[in-house]
Amino acid sequence: MTAAAPFAGSAPARSRGIGAILAGRRESAPALVILVVLLVVDLWLNRAWMLPGSWGTVIGLAGPTLAAAIASMPAIMAGRGGIDVSIGPSMGFINIILVKVLAGDLGIDQPWVLVPVALAIGALVGLFNGLLSAVLRIQPIVATLGTYLVLSGVTLTLLPAPEGAAPAWLKALAGPYSVVPLAAMAAIWLLAKRLTVYDWLVACGSDDRACFTAGVPVTGVRVFAYTLGGLFAGAGGLSLSALLGSADPNVGPTFTLVAISGVALGGVSLAGGRGGFAAAVLGAAVIFLLQSTLTYFNVSSFLLHTLYGVILVASVSLNALTGRVAGRSR
Amino acid sequence: MNVLRGLDANTRRTLGAIAMALVLLALGSLVIEGFGAPFAIRSMLVLATFIAVASIGQTLVVLLGGIDLSIPFVIGFANVVAASLYGDGMAFWLVCVVVALLSMAIGALNGTLSSFLRIHPLIVTLGVGTTVQGIVLMWTGGLPTGSAPAYLSEFVSIGGTIGPLPVPWVVPCFAVLAVFVHVMLARTPFGRQIYALGSNPTAAPLALIDPHRIVIASYALSALFAALAGVLLLGFTGSAYGDVGQPYLFQTIAAVVIGGTALIGGRGGLIGTIAGSAVLIELNTFLIGLGLAPSTVQAALGIVILALVSIYGREVHVRTLI
Repeated sequence: MTAAAPFAGSAPARSRGIGAILAGRRESAPALVILVVLLVVDLWLNRAWMLPGSWGTVIGLAGPTLAAAIASMPAIMAGRGGIDVSIGPSMGFINIILVKVLAGDLGIDQPWVLVPVALAIGALVGLFNGLLSAVLRIQPIVATLGTYLVLSGVTLTLLPAPEGAAPAWLKALAGPYSVVPLAAMAAIWLLAKRLTVYDWLVACGSDDRACFTAGVPVTGVRVFAYTLGGLFAGAGGLSLSALLGSADPNVGPTFTLVAISGVALGGVSLAGGRGGFAAAVLGAAVIFLLQSTLTYFNVSSFLLHTLYGVILVASVSLNALTGRVAGRSR
Repeated sequence: MNVLRGLDANTRRTLGAIAMALVLLALGSLVIEGFGAPFAIRSMLVLATFIAVASIGQTLVVLLGGIDLSIPFVIGFANVVAASLYGDGMAFWLVCVVVALLSMAIGALNGTLSSFLRIHPLIVTLGVGTTVQGIVLMWTGGLPTGSAPAYLSEFVSIGGTIGPLPVPWVVPCFAVLAVFVHVMLARTPFGRQIYALGSNPTAAPLALIDPHRIVIASYALSALFAALAGVLLLGFTGSAYGDVGQPYLFQTIAAVVIGGTALIGGRGGLIGTIAGSAVLIELNTFLIGLGLAPSTVQAALGIVILALVSIYGREVHVRTLI
């Protein structure tokens, strides 16, 4: 157990330095280091990023990636194999409904209609996933893979090829107001953290059997987790539509892999119970910065694809190894 | 008693899958003109064989309580690598050996990571699969080259015949392979250890079963069968295509689930999976025959799978775990 010493020694010191953000999460430390390095590299490569005027665009570029990771996080935190692979297709489906069906075909493009519709669709899809996996008790991967297929199939049926244009106010969510969806998600998460159900969520993720014996409504908590993730996917659908500026049926599903890689990298334990908003944002931000760094060097998208896989495997392996070294049970 | 009842349920589910395949065949012949025609049956038989080959490995892994999402990527990998090596003039038997060894190494990596590090196989196989796909893309630059030997195309051709029999050689060869794997699962120590480990991962090591060995071997076999499917598909299409395996991610899982193998592990078998493959192809042909677009068919299949899994693929309630 001598190997445990450096981990045990360095982790608390590091997390105390940034206190509130990491809240003592040892698993997020590697991602944080990579984030800082990548941020320095990126700022040096794209010096225009330092001008406050371009911050909106940069955050807008990162928006869908961050949102997808945030949306994937609650289901994973709920534990016992909880995962929502339908987040990407859900965002794509919302994109089609907003831009093609509502704004395009029906001519409804007011924000007070589109924003609630996006959030409602997201939350309903999440609720449906929660009912499938927690109440019907279908393995979450299979349940959400089923939803994945249905959503991406329906999306392609509604719109076989990209078309349409998003309303101007929506496009602004990828420009000057790109921080709004993220801030809204952060506000929802902070609100959720003040509720008992958040404590139940963390507890269920760590040990659902103990929770059940203690009288925690485990099933309800899990349904809540999927619904919350779905709500975040709704916000993700908004920022995806803003960034695309049109309706594209093929983009959504690609966010699933990025989101899960980001969540795992950020230190959200795939066994449940550990992680949170900051960890998901951290992991997704690392992936986004990596993406933009490699794009700067004109690296092929194939290498980028390979790297997603390598990052996913390496980060979960690292998580498992450090967990084992620290002597924690899963 | 529990074991007996479990076996009975197994047989029931397998018979249910076979019955479903026959009912769909009858229904399709009645509703859609040409569904029951000899050529249509032959093409469905060949296409179902491809799914069944790719699903053998998924069956083994699901029996262990795992899942293998790297199958489509290994199929694409084998497809592209085999075509490229053969196109470069390597002897085809040597190509097969190389592809088999490489794919088994990929599978063994899946098994090693998920077994020793106790990471959910879902994440491991997705990550490893994505990496493999990326490497194949980088290697070929997105434009795979090469070709398939003529006898391989003849082996899997829908129009192929064996003397008077109107089926290509791949169908009887698969039947032999299926019997072989079925006997391995039902009669050999390795097969029984898979069931034991899948039914109770805590008790199996106490019965002197080495979990790591079984898991790694099963994932390696899964990748091997995926690679076999990839090479067969190379013969079928005649040229390499990196994304040829994409539909098989969902179809292998669906075939296994329709065939009555429980995703929680320990229950099910290969015969059901083969029936499940036939059901999938029939369902697909049926829905397309009704005039639905492929994307609508995909959505409909998603609903069918969710319905089937909610009938017999459910997990236990947390209260029974205490």
